[in-house]
Amino acid sequence: MFSQHASVSKREGLPHEGAAAEVVRRSRYPTRLSMYTDAPDLEVSIEEFETFALDRLQVLRAIEDAQLRGRGEDDVRRRVSEALDKHLPMQSNRARAAARQVISQRRKDHVSHFILRLAFSRTEELRGWFLRQESALLRHRFREADTAERAELLAAAKLQARHLMPEARDAQLGSAASAFYGAQEAVYEVDFERVPDLVARAQVIVRDGHAFVAAGDVAALLVNEFREMLARSLAVCARALPQLGEDERLLPVLQSLTNQSARAEYQSTGAAGSMTADSVDSLAAMFPPCMQHLHGQLQRDHHLRHGSRMQLGLFLKGAGLRLPEALIYWRRAFTNMTDDQFQKGYAYNVRHNYGAEGRRADYTPYSCHRIITSNPPGPGDHHGCPFRHFAADRLRTALHSARLPENDVREISELARAGHCQVACTRHLEARLAQRRQQQPDKPMPDAGHVPSITSPNQYLDLLLTDGRGTRQKSERSADTSAILAGPKPQHPQLQSQSQSQSQPYSYA
Amino acid sequence: MTSDPEQDNSMMAVDDDGLDEISPLTLGQYYQRLFPQELYYRWLNYNGKVPTTEFTHREFSFTINDGVYIRYQSFKDSEDFQRELLRLSPSKIDIGAIFTAQPKHAKSLQPGVFKPVSKELVFDIDMTDYDEVRTCCQGGDICTRCWKFMVVAMHVLDRALREDFGFEKIMWVYSGRRGVHCWVCDDRARRLDDTGRKAVVGYLALIRGGAEQGKKVNLTQRGGQHPHILRSMEIVEEYFEDILLIDQEIMLTKERWTKILAALPDEELRKFLDAQWSRRPDRSSVEKWSEMIDAVDRKAAKRGSKFGLSTFERDMMLQLVYPRLDENVTTHLNHLLKSPFCIHPKTGRVCTPIAADQFDSYDPMEVPTLSQLLREINALSVQEESSGNNGSGTTAMAKYIKVFEDFVASLGQASESQNSSSQKQNSLDF
Repeated sequence: MFSQHASVSKREGLPHEGAAAEVVRRSRYPTRLSMYTDAPDLEVSIEEFETFALDRLQVLRAIEDAQLRGRGEDDVRRRVSEALDKHLPMQSNRARAAARQVISQRRKDHVSHFILRLAFSRTEELRGWFLRQESALLRHRFREADTAERAELLAAAKLQARHLMPEARDAQLGSAASAFYGAQEAVYEVDFERVPDLVARAQVIVRDGHAFVAAGDVAALLVNEFREMLARSLAVCARALPQLGEDERLLPVLQSLTNQSARAEYQSTGAAGSMTADSVDSLAAMFPPCMQHLHGQLQRDHHLRHGSRMQLGLFLKGAGLRLPEALIYWRRAFTNMTDDQFQKGYAYNVRHNYGAEGRRADYTPYSCHRIITSNPPGPGDHHGCPFRHFAADRLRTALHSARLPENDVREISELARAGHCQVACTRHLEARLAQRRQQQPDKPMPDAGHVPSITSPNQYLDLLLTDGRGTRQKSERSADTSAILAGPKPQHPQLQSQSQSQSQPYSYA
Repeated sequence: MTSDPEQDNSMMAVDDDGLDEISPLTLGQYYQRLFPQELYYRWLNYNGKVPTTEFTHREFSFTINDGVYIRYQSFKDSEDFQRELLRLSPSKIDIGAIFTAQPKHAKSLQPGVFKPVSKELVFDIDMTDYDEVRTCCQGGDICTRCWKFMVVAMHVLDRALREDFGFEKIMWVYSGRRGVHCWVCDDRARRLDDTGRKAVVGYLALIRGGAEQGKKVNLTQRGGQHPHILRSMEIVEEYFEDILLIDQEIMLTKERWTKILAALPDEELRKFLDAQWSRRPDRSSVEKWSEMIDAVDRKAAKRGSKFGLSTFERDMMLQLVYPRLDENVTTHLNHLLKSPFCIHPKTGRVCTPIAADQFDSYDPMEVPTLSQLLREINALSVQEESSGNNGSGTTAMAKYIKVFEDFVASLGQASESQNSSSQKQNSLDF
């Protein structure tokens, strides 16, 4: 045994490696990083089951959080590493740790992954969330790993890719490759479908359907492979899940795990009371910047393009505007259009959002994440997140016109510039609450900094309507809403009265 | 009609003419006598000898004349399709994805069972996205000057799709009014999932930012070295002066140059140029553009390349000419796109294919309208028409059908091998 170990050490040139490392190498978990291809075939106590899963969930939540709040790449890395050290520590083969400890750490990592895989296979949305966070976790661990560990993981992933040294690369792609990748960088040649993220960002040269991945970007290839594998097995899990129904010990645990999962979809709170087509305009002053912008554009142009209509329409729905009122509101807003045009081109869309057409799905308002990351505005589009999609000076103008103090404007602009859109939006809300505090010094309000992070435009509206508390006492409600509605004057009084008289001919019962 | 002096140079005259006569009756005539039914079926059945799932599981949707939109239509064969076409005389046909089951049964299937499987990789370029960079027309109108934006778009995308992604079976189609569509029909393109489609469109899309973002092209140092950018720049440079400076006079008035200057990331330069041009507003766009670039270059040389000034000219040229894609149309597998050989309901023009070697010579104003075609075909003697069962061969449609025919033939050789042999055994040759 001993002599055998010595020869291994010598061959691999790892003088610090001890007997413990050899035990680990021969165990079920020889490496720290895993693609989780094989399900654990072992017994886990119900207590372990729960604590393992909860600890991993803490890590995944910390990853999401770090990406939302982290300031810069280094800060994100630090936050994730901290969460890992706390909840899911794992030592490498080179650390001089007891074999038993190393193996039990890896067992926990492995088992917890598979428990959550099962728990999060339940719905499309949960699967998406789990995929995102697990992929980010693998990417993080790969980046933090040492060269030997990376090589082991790459070997385990069995990436099918042609490796091209710089000379071979340039022979195939021409001199442009040198300018693009740098003179020294080797590349992997793969079908472009296997690195969609890199292709989408034009981070790779694509030629004849092959993408050439820089060696430094190989993590993207690996993570994509992992994501594909995980997506497939999540789909398998989802089908298998109903069979677990017989085991009454597991199902409640799995359910409660996902209930605590990160950000659930926005649930309407009704903070704005029951909204009507008439009250939208007066309430608009309380909207978050993105919605205020869309509302303003709609008043100006009497039209919004599809992406904008979806974003604003579902927001209003979430804020309490019911279908009949929504039809009246949109019909009136599109003044330059005949009734017939509206019915043919737009009414369907409004009804669809309320689940009254087509698939009859009850669509929920867009979250900030969705607004920021998907369907970016193109030319002529007004939707999106001002902190993400406005030019810097345009954003500053908008902040100034909201009469925010100069130092807030500076701080918010800086946050937006650094890509912390939701933090910027939260600051925006805090600044407005502070404004209000100055105007109404007697009212009890939470201190600045105690406002929860903004994850949905509707949440912003709710918080502003409730002075930052998020929920409101029943008794306050009516008085408060009327005060708000009486507060800011409608921007176009004549439009207001006109629209009221116009509302008669249309009826959408 | 030919004696009407207004007709030659005014597109509107033709439009109204076409519009007046679009009715279920005239559409019915079109589908019966002019629509290239057989070729159309061969295209969507990918030259299979018998109807394959490519055709039978494909979603079609019809807009019938009073604006009712019928989704999830599907047909068992060419005859079935034609029968419905003649019965409903749709004013618009949209083509959707191929599903796991026949779309007409969609409602009776459990959710989750009925899913889109494949579709051509499609692109939609709409002239309305160019409203901020064109001065000749707005909204739904186009003219020979702004059509050139479409010409550049086709050159840029066609080469990228062929050279970079290795696609070969690419059909470009004039939408009949204000834009072009692209249908990539290679097997590999059809099998792409949403993520793959997003990757391709992300790679090709360069203009980013909505109405609130002045500078819409922002490339990193490395990004600027990408072969796709270098190649696209060559194409853009070839057309830029002609389209933007001479045809569009993009900097002629204060209102226009202010929009260009908004993208210049240097306030001092913005003010300087604005003052200079305000003093001499009569200078042409060609002159103003070179003054701007000279001023930018001088400053960039002084400050080093730090402020995005050194790449300003390239970025701006791209921003003004590079294709503007409607990304959502491409990204989603189950997004519908208007079919070729529809009649555009607003212009009456036929939605016709554009051959890959004719981007520069294709003239959308020359495309026949429904009423024009019906006049032509009614002028034919009954004997002439009965000699061939479809009259389109002798009308102004002929050359577009030839383009389509060549395209469908080019699909043939490769997809032959993909039709399963079991289907071949059952086939009745006809």
